[in-house]
Amino acid sequence: MPSTQAQAVIDTRALTKVYPGNVTALDGLTVEVAPGVTGLIGANGAGKSTLIKILLGLIPPTKGQAKVLGHDCETSGEKIRILLGYMPEHDCLPPDVTATELVTHLGRMSGLPATVAKERAAESLRHVGLHEERYRLIGTYSTGMKQRVKLAQALVGAPQLLLLDEPTNGLDPAGRTAMLELIARIGAEFGISIVVASHLLGEIERICDHLVAIDSGRLLRADSITSFTQASQVLAVEVEEGPAQLQAELAARGLAATLQASTAQGGTAQARTLLVPLGGDDTYDVVRDCVAALALPLCRLEQRRHQVEELFRDEEVVRHG
Amino acid sequence: MANQATGVIHDLGYRGYDGPRLGRTQIIRALTWHSFRSAFGIGRGVKGKIIPVLAFIAMCLPGFVNAFAVARGNARLFGYDVYVPNLRVALVTIFIAAQAPELVSRDLRSRVLPLYFCRPLRRGDYPLAKYLALTAALLILIEIPLLILYVGTIASAKGGRAVWDETRALIPGLGVGLMWAVLMAAIGLVLASLTGRRAYSTGIVAISCVLTFFLSLLLIQAEGGQGATSTGARVAGLFSPFTLLDGVRVWLGGNPQVGLVADPGRYGPLYGVVAVVLLAACLGGLAARYRKVSQS
Repeated sequence: MPSTQAQAVIDTRALTKVYPGNVTALDGLTVEVAPGVTGLIGANGAGKSTLIKILLGLIPPTKGQAKVLGHDCETSGEKIRILLGYMPEHDCLPPDVTATELVTHLGRMSGLPATVAKERAAESLRHVGLHEERYRLIGTYSTGMKQRVKLAQALVGAPQLLLLDEPTNGLDPAGRTAMLELIARIGAEFGISIVVASHLLGEIERICDHLVAIDSGRLLRADSITSFTQASQVLAVEVEEGPAQLQAELAARGLAATLQASTAQGGTAQARTLLVPLGGDDTYDVVRDCVAALALPLCRLEQRRHQVEELFRDEEVVRHG
Repeated sequence: MANQATGVIHDLGYRGYDGPRLGRTQIIRALTWHSFRSAFGIGRGVKGKIIPVLAFIAMCLPGFVNAFAVARGNARLFGYDVYVPNLRVALVTIFIAAQAPELVSRDLRSRVLPLYFCRPLRRGDYPLAKYLALTAALLILIEIPLLILYVGTIASAKGGRAVWDETRALIPGLGVGLMWAVLMAAIGLVLASLTGRRAYSTGIVAISCVLTFFLSLLLIQAEGGQGATSTGARVAGLFSPFTLLDGVRVWLGGNPQVGLVADPGRYGPLYGVVAVVLLAACLGGLAARYRKVSQS
């Protein structure tokens, strides 16, 4: 696990939260989050929001322990909240103040002296891409601009860790991409660890180093994203006939292709697809040369990268099956 | 290097901050100051300033009228402890009905509170700062006119003795003003924090103040007016915050001939107890309200 190399930014042990009325939001969640950009994946109601509230020290866990940057959430909430920037999921901006005023004020609330708050508010807004607009009332902003203000207010207090709850909520595809790029840049260039809570895996996997998936308050899987995407980089080669010959030819040239198990019902359909581990661009050349040498009718050549969804689904199948 | 010296704006990149941070008390102070300013519409548009500024000016007018009257040889027109009772009731009601929602309903409405609670503040700190701010704003509204009354009077006073008498009369008046500010701020905030709909919270505050006030006045009238000594008349002032405060004033030695209520007599301590209980209930309610908000 890479998380052992550096101090975990988030560390929970058997974290359980039962709300009055016997509603279990978290059920013995044990997870360690390493520095970097981490995706916190879960469907609505999986326990993401409860986890965030516990991490912020706003509600106590029923059982178990949670630590953020080495501080216990139950006893050192204030200390944690100095080091943490939080971007809530829902709309949380007053419409009748300017972005500069709001972010400056919230900077002061993060404990910054007045002049520093002013400087950092201007800088944070610049970093999220709001320039002259920052002197306008927030009520006149587009959704995308509002999301940026929410991100800027999380940054203003110079946090070591950002908790972003559904940061792409309500954005159009272009806005989503821009927001994700911004988050990736903050993670890479600003040296701030980020936890992005989302229910959209496809989006999150583009920017995360690690993924933590939770479901019904339990840990589904936590791993570095490369550890499962690297393994899944394969080239699918489908030929009309002669897959066995091709497999032999590929083996002769040093590529261990596997015949894809037939997924058709009854197993009557012939397996015609070979899965070749994708090493680099020369893999394509080798495959092309083999197919050409055997003069096989090639009908498909595609790079397959398992979507994270599938990997989690596989995991589910393994667990339940 | 030459390029950099020509004054091109470079992206400085992100910078962290390792400098000193304010402690919790200083953050509370900053929030109090911010809220105090917004109680007078400072930092808001012109619209936000109209009501608090007009209320303040209206409250000061009797003080200026007194200065002219005294300069022409009249005695001081109003007592420091009661000032102009009905005007004060009306303007304090207007002020808290307009400005308590400004302090709390806006934040509830725009759901900005999670942005406060994810910062170092503890959950009780936000309502505390708002309470201190509104109390301070009410002190300005109530006490500055008293000071104008005082200055206007001593400006024409003859001799140190007269000035000393005025000063001795002023001090209990300031004390009464402090009681008003402390209690009315708590009542205004707890009522205003019930809803984020500003019009509603203004309505709740205004109606509560006005209705209870008229209820008490009617009861006092029904029992024979301010001069009456029946038990009914003595306790009738308990039913509204303004008459309650006036009852406490009389109990503590204020003149029962002026003001709003009949002399509470031996029920005086009851007025004191009810005032303290009411204050505690409002502050407790406010704290409970924000405990709930901080967890949702």
